[in-house]
This record gives sequence, C-alpha cells and structure tokens, in this order.
Amino acid sequence: MTASSTHVLLIEDNPGDADLVRLRLVESKSPIAVSCVDRLSDGLASLTSRPPSVVLLDLNLPDCQGAETFRRVLENSPDVPIVILSGHDDEALAVKALNLGVQDYLVKGSITSNALDRAMRYAIERQALLRSLEMSRKQQLEFKNQFLSHVSHELRTPLTCIYQFVTILLDGLAGQVTADQRDHLETILKSVNQLGAMVRDLLEASRAEAGKVRLEPHCVVIGDLVKLAVTMMKSVADEKQVGLEVGIDSRIPFVHGDPDRILEVLINLIDNGIKFTPSGGAVTVQACLAATDPDFVYISVADTGCGIDPKAKALIFERMYQDPNSIDNSRKGLGLGLYIAKELVTLHSGRMWVASELGNGSTFSFTLPLYSLAKQLFPVITYQNSLRDGLVLLKVELRPLSKPIRGNWKETCQHSLEILQRCVYLDKDLVLPPMTTHGPEQTFFVVASTDMDRVSVMMTRIREQIEKVVDVKANCELQLSAEPVTLPGTGSAEPLAQQVQDVADRVTEMARLAPKTEHNSGNGKMAPRRS
Amino acid sequence: MANSKILIVDDDPDLRQALKLRLRANHYDTVHAVDGYSAITQAHKETPDLIILDLGLPAGDGYVVLERLQTDDRLSDIPVIVLTARDPQSSEQRVLKSGAAAFFQKPADNAELLEVIRATLPKVLAPAPMPS
Repeated sequence: MTASSTHVLLIEDNPGDADLVRLRLVESKSPIAVSCVDRLSDGLASLTSRPPSVVLLDLNLPDCQGAETFRRVLENSPDVPIVILSGHDDEALAVKALNLGVQDYLVKGSITSNALDRAMRYAIERQALLRSLEMSRKQQLEFKNQFLSHVSHELRTPLTCIYQFVTILLDGLAGQVTADQRDHLETILKSVNQLGAMVRDLLEASRAEAGKVRLEPHCVVIGDLVKLAVTMMKSVADEKQVGLEVGIDSRIPFVHGDPDRILEVLINLIDNGIKFTPSGGAVTVQACLAATDPDFVYISVADTGCGIDPKAKALIFERMYQDPNSIDNSRKGLGLGLYIAKELVTLHSGRMWVASELGNGSTFSFTLPLYSLAKQLFPVITYQNSLRDGLVLLKVELRPLSKPIRGNWKETCQHSLEILQRCVYLDKDLVLPPMTTHGPEQTFFVVASTDMDRVSVMMTRIREQIEKVVDVKANCELQLSAEPVTLPGTGSAEPLAQQVQDVADRVTEMARLAPKTEHNSGNGKMAPRRS
Repeated sequence: MANSKILIVDDDPDLRQALKLRLRANHYDTVHAVDGYSAITQAHKETPDLIILDLGLPAGDGYVVLERLQTDDRLSDIPVIVLTARDPQSSEQRVLKSGAAAFFQKPADNAELLEVIRATLPKVLAPAPMPS
C-alpha cells in the first residue's frame, strides 16, 4: 500500500452487501485498500490496531444494532471519518447520526461507484478540517490563557508599588497628612484593591475556562462555611447598612467539596447581594435539604435589592456581562464574578441559577453534592448481609507546632492521609475525606471495623508510619484517639440499609463535633473531650 | 537590643525602597540585593536574620537562590519569605518545597506580611525567669 492509497475499513455482516461495496470500491479510480470485518468488536479492534482513512459502517451487526453502533465507533475513534451504509428502513437514523459526528451516509442498493468515491473523499477531507479547527481552537485557548497569566503577573508589579507607597503615606511614614489628603489617599487605596481583585478574577476566569481549577475535596460542614463567609462580609454589609442573616438546617450532613472554592462562591454571591441592595435592606443566606434531591444541599443567597430584568437573567452568568441599569454603575468591575462562581459550582457537579423580579430582590441558588457516607460505608461495614460486629471511629489530628508553619504543611497533611490509607484494610475500614478546619490543623477520620482493643494496634501502626515519613516531632503534634460507634437502641431488626444509615448518621454526628472544637485551639489549650 | 536585619531581594528599585521604608518604620534594619547573584554575596556579607525574596530575578532566579541558601551551611538557617507577583497556584507549593518559610503574592497586605515576619524571625533567647 502506498502512502497515497486510501485504507477503507468496511464493517458489514451481510456477505452480499459487503461484496457489492467491495466491487464499487474496485471500480474506483483512486488506489484503495479494503479490510472487511463482520462484527463491531472486530471493527473496533482493527480501528485501534490499524487506524483506517475512513470507515464504512453498517448499522445492523450481529453484536450491535442501531444508534449504539456508530456511538461506539465514535467513542472508540473520534477522529476517524465514518460513512454509514444504511438500509431504507434506517435512513432516518442515519440522518440523525450526521448531527452526532458521522460524516455521511449512503443508502444501500443505490450506491454507485462515483457516489461512494465522493462520499469517502469528502468525509476524509471534512474530518481533517474539523480536526485542524479543533486544534487551532485549543491553541488559541492556550495562547489566551498564557497571555492572561502573563498580563496579570505584569500588572501586579506596578499595582504593588502603588499599594506600598499609598500605605506609606497613609500610615504617616513620610510625614503628617491632612484630613483631606487622607481622604484622597484612601480613595486611591480603595481603587488599588478593586484593581487587585480584577486582576485576580481575570486569571481565575481563564483558569476556570481552561478546566485548570483543581478541587481538593473535603468533608465540609456547610453551616460553618456559611457563617465564616458572613463574618468575613460583615464589615462590608455594616458599612452600607445592609443586614446579613443566616438560616441553616442543622441536619445537613457533610458536603463533599473544596472549602476554599465554596467560600469563594459564597463571598461572591454575598458581596453581589450587598452591592445591589439599598441601605436598610437585607441579604439572607440559607442552606437546606430538598426531599426531591437527596444527594445535594441547596444554598441560597437572597437580597432585597433592585432585582434583575428578565432579559438580563439569561445573560447574567455569562463572562463580561454587566447590568446596564446597575445602581453601582460607576464601578462595574470585569463582570467575571458570577461566571467564576457558576464554573466553580459546576466543577463540583452542582447547579447554579437565579430567581428574581424587577424591584423585588434576587435569590441566587446553588447546589453542592453531599458526602454520601452511607453509600461509602455499606460495602465496608457489612458482611454476609449483616452489620459487622465492632465499629470504631478513629481520629487522627495533626497540629503544627509553630505559627507560621515551617516547611510544606499542605504536603505534610497530604502525605499523612496517604499513609493513613495504606495503614487500614480497604475492605473493612473507610478513610473519610479530610475534615475542613479553619486553621492549619488537619483532622482525618477512619471508620474501622474492629474493637477498642485491636484499634490500639492500628493506632500504633499509623503513628509509626506517619512518624517515619513526617518529621512529626520538629513540626507538629500528632494525636490519635478512638471512640466506639454505638447506636441508640438495637437496630438489628431494621433492614440492613437502614442500619448502615444509622451508623452513617452517628458517625457524622461524632465527626462534625471535631472541626468545631478547633476554633479556639490556637492558644494551645486542648479542646474539651466529649465523655 | 539590636534590631533584626532583613535582606530585601528584588530587582524593582521602587519596591525595594517601599519595603525598606515600611520595615524601617517597624524597627528592622534592612540591606538589599538586586539579583540572584548579589543575594548570595549579600547574605554572606551581612548575615541577615531573614530574607525577603522575589522569584523573577536576573542572574539566578528565586528558586536558584533558595537552593543555594539551602545547600550552604552558613546560610541554610536563615528563614526566607518569598514575595512575588507570580500565581500562587503554580508557585506556592514549589516555593515551600524549596525551603521557604512563607509565600506571599504581591501586593501583600502590610499587616499580614509584618505579622509573618515577626513570627518567622528566629526567636531571641529570652532571659531565664527570676526564681520566685
């Protein structure tokens, strides 16, 4: 076969049809090499081992029929052009296939040599064009991201300079300033901070678009995170005399997500809410569960502001969208905040939407996945259709000794988690995702199918292994403790799934007390232990 | 008691000047270096108590300086705070792995930076408490 010859893979199980197509191919003027297989599985193998120039595909094969046939070929080899050989009965399906990435179709029985030749040639050319388009799109995206990254880096240096000298003047390090001068300097400082936030958003948005945001999933107590966000925004709300209210359903289990990113979303929505709400109004943040959607938590940020024009509602999550009627028209920002927020929620496989009426405020809502502890626990804590005998909740805490922390604390924690995962039996113990704490402390939990006597062996092993890798003595305090998971009442009469759910609820209750007690551990005092 | 001495390494003269003013107002002595090479020679000559280091530098970037500091017995104990315009997502982990005590992206909040400087400076041994 020469380089210029076309390699055709014919996937057709009817010997008569196959011969007919072969005959038409032989009549063709251009040099053609044909391989013919009669099953999809053989076709897929051939596609992988020796990629053809074009595939001629029958839709009714012994091992696959209908839409599934071209779907599997496309999935296997998205870059290979496909021409469907359809019968009269499945022509409609062939037309549909064109929308899904198939290049062309021919109806069997009316295939001429010329038509076949042309269909194949165009299919190959179109596919090549598509591929080069896709490649240049990717290159452009990459170029744009590099450009934005470069720009935001270069903008930071002069920005820093302005910030430094303005604060030097403001703090009186270059002599006394008058009240008027102070006012002006504070205006500059405010603008510098706005500019800094825009530079940050620019990079963040391009990163989100390129799918370069990495999530570090934790077990998040969403109520704590909401309260933290509200505390952080309190001064902004107070300054504008906008109330900030919180309503959180205390029964919400752990959310499975990246606490830093979720905080970013919350801050963004609260900040927006305050911005569009006049003095005397209020912004309310709520988190609750929905019976119809049990795997997600629903979080909403409602304001009593000016509301959103129905026409604007569809555009509000787009990049660079800015409300032309915004009351804060003088300072619009880049219009990236909601775009970033929505991207971050989508990355968590959640949804974000807005409900609003002009003049009657807006409510931004989003969902985040719950950590389905029961689902994770089920294969671990059950054995031969009943609950395992003993269950213990093991707690591993890492606390840095100095502040700020010397060395790479994040890596120390990550390392410890990996060690922990190696120290347990994966078939009967479960390591939970790390708990969110608001300090540098890190807490890990293991639900272990063992009893209190044997758990001490496990704890010794974990301590030994972590100390081998992490310079614990120089860096941090490593603390291990265990508590049996006791269920209220004998639940063995209940169905197994319910028993597992009971364990999950109990574990959640025991574990969620942990991050909260660490708020005041900064002064070195031990948090009170529960009896 | 003598003031702690801080070596400022940055190729931007205005930023060096601003940091110098800020640090001196907080009772630190400052010396400076303008590139990677002079950072090391200044560290040897001045034996600072702490180094504030930019990453993008001529004549040996910040990572080279970090590595040289780490492998030099006379300098490896000096804590380094990296202060850079670069993106934390791509730099912070690498910086901390290279032995820096802290990472700040420019512009860094004055109060936060001063707090970390205070906490990072080697502790001067306090006189033993009087027996009661």
